[in-house]
Amino acid sequence: MIRYESVTKVYGNGKDAVTALDNVSLEIQAGEVVILLGPSGCGKTTTLRLTNRLETLTRGTITINGQDIMQVDAVKLRQKIGYVIQEIGLFPNKTIAENVAVVPKLLGWSEERIRERVDELLWMTNLDPRTYRDRYPAELSGGQQQRVGVARGLAADPNILLMDEPFGAIDPINREQIQDEFLRLQAKLKKTVVFVSHDIHEAIKMGDRIALFDKGRLIQYDTPEAILTQPKNKFVADFVGADRALKVLGLIRTGDIMNRSPKNLLRMTDQAQDVLKFMDSKKFHYGIVLNGGKPMGYVTNRTLKYEQGPIRDLVETYPCLVEEKRNLRDVLSMMLMYNLMTLCVVDDNGDFIGTVSYNDIQKAIKESYTDEAERNGEGE
Amino acid sequence: MSTLCFISENMERVLYLTWEHIWIVGSSLVIAMIIGIPLGVLITRHKNLAQRVLNTANVLMTIPSIALFGIMLPILAVMGFGLGKLPAVIALVLYSQLPIIRNTYTAILNVPPAVTDAGRGMGMNRWRLLREVEIPLAVPVILAGLRTAAVMNIGIAAIAAYIGAGGLGVLISQGISRTYEEMIIAGAVLVSLLAIIVDGAMALLERWVTPRGLQVQRRQNG
Ligand SMILES: Nc1ncnc2c1ncn2[C@@H]1O[C@H](COP(=O)(O)OP(=O)(O)OP(=O)(O)O)[C@@H](O)[C@H]1O
Ligand SMILES: [Mg+2]
Repeated sequence: MIRYESVTKVYGNGKDAVTALDNVSLEIQAGEVVILLGPSGCGKTTTLRLTNRLETLTRGTITINGQDIMQVDAVKLRQKIGYVIQEIGLFPNKTIAENVAVVPKLLGWSEERIRERVDELLWMTNLDPRTYRDRYPAELSGGQQQRVGVARGLAADPNILLMDEPFGAIDPINREQIQDEFLRLQAKLKKTVVFVSHDIHEAIKMGDRIALFDKGRLIQYDTPEAILTQPKNKFVADFVGADRALKVLGLIRTGDIMNRSPKNLLRMTDQAQDVLKFMDSKKFHYGIVLNGGKPMGYVTNRTLKYEQGPIRDLVETYPCLVEEKRNLRDVLSMMLMYNLMTLCVVDDNGDFIGTVSYNDIQKAIKESYTDEAERNGEGE
Repeated sequence: MSTLCFISENMERVLYLTWEHIWIVGSSLVIAMIIGIPLGVLITRHKNLAQRVLNTANVLMTIPSIALFGIMLPILAVMGFGLGKLPAVIALVLYSQLPIIRNTYTAILNVPPAVTDAGRGMGMNRWRLLREVEIPLAVPVILAGLRTAAVMNIGIAAIAAYIGAGGLGVLISQGISRTYEEMIIAGAVLVSLLAIIVDGAMALLERWVTPRGLQVQRRQNG
C-alpha cells in the first residue's frame, strides 16, 4: 500500500518557484492499478518521481507499507520499485538480456538465476528469448522495446510498479495490444501499479481506480465508473468528455446484461406458417433461427407472410456475432453499423447462449446512472 | 631520391628519433588522458565549473607552442628541468586538454536523458551508471578527442626539438642550421608520415571500441 499524505512539491525557489503538487493525499491499495490522469503539467510525473525519490518532497510524507520512504536509502528503495517510462530508456550498449538483468545484477543474483529470470520475463512479455535475448535495443521495434522496458521493470519481482505513460509513444494498434497484454499479465501478477496517463480511454481501460489531477491538485479519486457517471465538478465532466455515456458502455461486458433465455427461438425445419402463428400469438416481430445450437440468422413476420414450407431458405444471416466478454460500446457500434436492434451472443465454440438488444444497453446505461444518483442521495 | 638515400644511410639514427618522437607523444597522451577524462566527467556534474575549465583549456590551446616553451623555460629551470623532454611532455599534456576534456564532457552530456533517468530510477548509483552506461556510450567520442590530440601533438613535438626534447624535429632543426636540405625534408616527411599512420590507426581503434549496440544503431540510422 502506498499512502501520500499532504504531499506538496515546489520546484525552484524565489520568484521562479513552481508548485507542481499542492497538498495531495491519496491511498493506493496493494494489487490495484491506479491511473494518475490529467492534462499536461498537472503533476502526474512529479507524483511518480516523488514515489521513488527521483524528486525530493517539499512537504508531506509518502509511506510504503507503513514505512516512510525518507527513512529508506534512495538507491535501495528504487531497486525494490519497478520503473517504466515513455521514452523507455533501454541501454543501447547492452543486449536485451543485459538490459532486463540490470536490477537483478544490482541485487547480486547468481548468473544462473538471472539467466532463468530473463528468459521467463521475455516469454511473459511475448518476446521469444531465443530470438531476442542477444539482440540490441536498436534492432527492436518501438513496441518490442517497450515490452523489454516492462520486462526490465518487473525483473526483480517488485511489489510496486511505477509507469509513466509507458505506452504513450506506441502507435494506436500496437498500443491496444500491449495494453491487453499488460492487463493479462497484471491479472496474474497483482502488482501495485501507479500508472500515469493523459488519455481517458487508457485510464478507463487500465485502471481499477483513477486519480484525476488539475494544476497540482487531486480533483477526484474514484473507480472509472464513478468518474464517468458521477463527475465531481465541471472540470471532471469536461475531462471525461460529452461522450461519457459511451465510455461507461466500454466498461460493461455483454455477459453482464445479456438475455440468456430468449423465447423467440426457431429451428431450420420449422414451417413458415406455424412460425408466423406462434410469433403473432407472442407478439414477436422476428425469430432467431438456430441450427445445432449455432445461430444461423433471423426471420421476420414480414418475410414469412406469404411463404410455405420450412423457414430454412428464408433466414437472413447475422453479419456479426458477439462474444460474452465484448464491451457494450463495441456491441452498440455493431448495431449501428448493421442496422440491427438485437445481436446473438455466442460462446468460444460459436454456440448460441443468448441475445443482447439495444433496449438492454439503454437500460444498462440508465441503471448505472441511477445507481449513482441513489448513492448520492443516501450520502446527503 | 636523395631524401631516401639520407634516410637509408642514417637508418639507425632515424629509427631512434622516430621512437623518441613516439615516446614523447605517447607518454604525454597517457598523462593527458589520466587528467582530462576524469576532469571532463567531473564537470558534467558541476555545471558552474564546466565553463571555467573549458575556457582555461581553450586559452592554453591558443598559446603558440614556441611561446609556451619560452614561458616554461625559466619556471622549470628553477628546478633544473628547463630543457629536455620534461617541458616538452608538459606542454603536450596542456595542449591535449581541450580536445580530451571537451569531447568527454559533450559525450557524457549527449547520453539521452531517458537512459540515465531509467538507470537512476532502477537504483543504479552514479558511479555504476557512469561505468556501465555513460562511459561506454561516450567512448567513441572520447577516442575521437584523443585522436585529435595525438595528431596535433605529433606536429608540436617536432618543434620541441628546439628545447632539446629530441624526436624527429631534430632532423629539421639540425638540417636548418646546417642548410642540409635532404635532412630537413627527411624530418618533415617522417613527421607527416607518423601523423598519418597514427591518425589511421586511431580511426580503426575508434571503430573497434565502439560498443556493438551503438554500431547497430548507427547502421540503422543510415
Ligand atoms: N525539474 C523541474 N523543474 C522545474 N519545474 C518542473 C520540473 N519538473 C516539472 N516541473 C513543473 O511542474 C509541473 C508539473 O510537471 P509534471 O512533469 O509533473 O507534469 P505532468 O502531469 O507529468 O505533465 P505531462 O502530461 O506533460 O507529462 C509543470 O508545471 C512543470 O513545468
Ligand atoms: Mg509527465
